Amino acid sequence: MIPQSNLRLRLRAALMVVMLLVLAASAHAADDESSEQVPAASVTTRSVRKYAVPAISLVRDDGKVVSLPDEMNDGRPILLNFIFTTCGSICPLMSSVFGQFERRLGADADKVHLMSISIDPEQDTPARLREYARKFHAGLQWQHYTGTPTASIAAQRAFDVYRGGKMSHNVVTLMRAAPDKPWLRIEGFVTADDLVHDYRKLLASR
Amino acid sequence: MSAWRIVVADVGLLAALALAGRATAASADGAGQSIYLRGVLGSGAPLEGIREAGAVTTGVDAACVNCHQRSGLGSLEGNLSIPPVTGEYLFHSRTQAGEAVLPYVESLHGNRDPYTDATLARAIREGLDSEGRPLSYLMPRYALGDEDMASLIGFLKRLSVRQVPGVTDTVLHFATIVTPDADPLKRRGMLDVLEHFFAQKNLIPLKPSPRMLTSGKTQYSKSMYMANRHWQLHVWELTGPAATWRAQLDKHLAAEPVYAVLSGLAGSNWAPVHEFCEQNAVPCLFPNVEVPVVAERDFYSMYFSKGVLLESDLIARAILGSDDRPAAGAVEQVYRAGDSGEAAAKALAAQLKGHGVKVHSTVLAAGAQRHGVTSALRTAARRKDARGQALVLWLRPPDIAVLGDVPAGAATVYLSGLMGGLEKSPLPAGWREHAVMTYPFDLPGKRGVRLDYPLGWFSVRRIPLVAEQVQTDTFLACSLLADVLNRMADNFARPYLIEQLQGLLEHRVITGYYPRLTLASNQRFASKGGYVVHFRDPGGTALVAEGDWIVP
Repeated sequence: MIPQSNLRLRLRAALMVVMLLVLAASAHAADDESSEQVPAASVTTRSVRKYAVPAISLVRDDGKVVSLPDEMNDGRPILLNFIFTTCGSICPLMSSVFGQFERRLGADADKVHLMSISIDPEQDTPARLREYARKFHAGLQWQHYTGTPTASIAAQRAFDVYRGGKMSHNVVTLMRAAPDKPWLRIEGFVTADDLVHDYRKLLASR
Repeated sequence: MSAWRIVVADVGLLAALALAGRATAASADGAGQSIYLRGVLGSGAPLEGIREAGAVTTGVDAACVNCHQRSGLGSLEGNLSIPPVTGEYLFHSRTQAGEAVLPYVESLHGNRDPYTDATLARAIREGLDSEGRPLSYLMPRYALGDEDMASLIGFLKRLSVRQVPGVTDTVLHFATIVTPDADPLKRRGMLDVLEHFFAQKNLIPLKPSPRMLTSGKTQYSKSMYMANRHWQLHVWELTGPAATWRAQLDKHLAAEPVYAVLSGLAGSNWAPVHEFCEQNAVPCLFPNVEVPVVAERDFYSMYFSKGVLLESDLIARAILGSDDRPAAGAVEQVYRAGDSGEAAAKALAAQLKGHGVKVHSTVLAAGAQRHGVTSALRTAARRKDARGQALVLWLRPPDIAVLGDVPAGAATVYLSGLMGGLEKSPLPAGWREHAVMTYPFDLPGKRGVRLDYPLGWFSVRRIPLVAEQVQTDTFLACSLLADVLNRMADNFARPYLIEQLQGLLEHRVITGYYPRLTLASNQRFASKGGYVVHFRDPGGTALVAEGDWIVP
């Protein structure tokens, strides 16, 4: 074949690839209700990790003292993040994403267990956690946890989110399909849509 | 005088802030402030902020203050930096070598063209910076009307503080406040510590070191110079009835404008001072008080603990139990009128009444004879429902020392550790088997290491140890202030002092009598819990904790 048609063929192939990518991208965006321009995207990194769940006691937002392994190993997939109720910027956004995630799942929401553990446990009493949860319309499958400072730090260390204090906390969301599976660690802000996508993908590969 | 204008502006700001929480329609002038601080538009409607994928926040959760802080200087949270938004940072031209620069702020995004009113409005509405680049995904977009937008931008311009009261080129002025009913021994101990701390601070000479001498125009040389300001202590001793204290404080502040109120000492009432600080926007740092003002949404006061109010929380919890089945059907409280126990007893009664526990009070007159306690207890014991009742003693060592026999039929006796002398309480042997004491500090055996430093510091300077807890708390307050001022470099905005202190507190290792100190916005009490203990022996100071540290 002469070089020119070769080039044209390659160009057409490249164009097809680009079109496929655009189609794939728009398929993801299909659920997006907003017609507004999306601001600068956050940088998120995903990795797969193994974490040992420490055998510690926490206090759930209903006041009950519970064991963290028990809370995590009832068979349900888990979404986990770390918050504190007087946080001004990061936590409200993370929690609002959890709330939207619940709503996007609709009927499927009661199959998942959302857990938010306080990194300011002495301030975040069960009563304050309930008040915080109400702001984001937390459903029954989303629970907040507090406890002793030692227990909170143990939980933070176990999931590699401890950075020496609540003022240096970072944005991390953790997800696990089943008790015997590894964790998906998402660093940086993730939208509810992306979270749903990650979740469905994780379950599919279970 | 510009300092006056700042004070007046701050007072105006704070007066408006006194309406916090209520979504009242604000005047065009106040709209900017109510948008920034409370998420309320000029019309009274809630502010609405939209982030990507349609995530909406409204009202106080959408307010700028949540991220950009009261000072407007932003913050650093983890690896997220939230930039300053006061007028001077928004409208300042790109930095040039040799030009006087702005005070250092950790989250400065300086590498962009200065904003104009138009591009700033665009930033808020469309999320684009002064050069048209998208702002962070964290920053919501707000569809503000023109009037609201103008008001908000005006507010941001006024947030810039050029001159802070109590701060000159060479001196930082601080006040410490003592109420007339403060304990004289504690007062002496506290003032000793303050005077020595300030004297030590002022040993470092004012001149910058030779290596730092430059043209004098660059940021660096200015910072070194400012870090060595002289600390000036003003002791404001209040007199007469509490109703007159506010006027005295206003007069003091007018005569001696101070940057912040540091430490201080009260008897049973600190409220007029707390309100004075809040309304004048003056930081009020860790006063030695047994009865603080509990107002988590106030901004300028910080306390180490809730004092006797924490103790009443602990006692309520002990009596009500975790299963809400009260351990006692009736409670008798004993306190002296006008002393700290009165406020504590009131708080405890309020907590118990809702749970069907009968609460009686035996009030001893302020100057009454000591034997009044014993006869009062005998009278209480003769009451119909006295059998099995709990006794709560909000008493000080002189009253405790002369307690007679334990009243017949009394169940548990609760003693305020804070008022009663902690482990040195002269509780008679016969009472010790029936009594537990609330202990709003770390236990004597455990706090040794955290106290070594201040106690050593006192010993080297031959400061008599007359009130260990008050004196170490005072030292703690001073050293926290010194640390935070180092961190702040040359930015003295008063809200910034509060914000930086909140950030720095939880990293401290030396926390004196407290196992842990943490603060954040909407938190005013750095230590949140305490122990319930009993005496191990009929005499001596050995204590046994009944369980772990409790956060009520």
